[in-house]
Amino acid sequence: MRRPRATSVTTALLVYVLLLFSLQLFLLAVAAEAFLSGEPSLAWAATALSAVLALTALLFYRYLRRV
Amino acid sequence: MSEEPIWRRDFPYTAAGEEGVTRREFTRFLVAASVTAAGTGGAAALWASLRRINRGEPQEIVALSEVPVGGSHLFDYPTPNDPAILLRPEEGTLLGFSQKCTHLGCVVYWAPENGHLECPCHEGVFDLSGEPIAGPPDRPLGRIEVEVRDGTVWALGAGTEATA
Repeated sequence: MRRPRATSVTTALLVYVLLLFSLQLFLLAVAAEAFLSGEPSLAWAATALSAVLALTALLFYRYLRRV
Repeated sequence: MSEEPIWRRDFPYTAAGEEGVTRREFTRFLVAASVTAAGTGGAAALWASLRRINRGEPQEIVALSEVPVGGSHLFDYPTPNDPAILLRPEEGTLLGFSQKCTHLGCVVYWAPENGHLECPCHEGVFDLSGEPIAGPPDRPLGRIEVEVRDGTVWALGAGTEATA
């Protein structure tokens, strides 16, 4: 029995967002360590990449609302 | 007041876990957490950029004659809460370091028999330039610029290269 397309798409997007969030947790740890060691440039770089990932997750969610 | 959906009247059966979180809801939570994580990172970066690091004012440490060649002297710099160590590994050489290990902040000590600084917590080892040479630390110790004025050792500032 085939799964409905919407269900498959939802699951796929959930996995993508989960992966993006996992990467963000790593970047958050990098930013925290940069903060503690007084290296704002590294913290900003981690934040910029994290923001890109958050934006991607938002785009995925926007697409999910249409499915 | 919430209205009962039509499908509920047509299909009046419930199942265990029906009230659980759907995949869509979980995805929404994850996206919200994702935005929060980015915002938290931004706040940390902003705070790191704006805070002032206290590098200290010139401060008298100890008379040079009280520090034996091959020995060390403990002091606090730039604040009373910042343990620091003055080394005199050989005649004419004075080195100042923060005592806080760059791994987890334990206090490092001078091991004259080995000629380096050691952290007792996780066996981190730093050479006389402050660079980590063994153990978990991967960043050098904070340096304190020191100078001899009229037979007295002075600390001139933290975070810069030391001079003898």
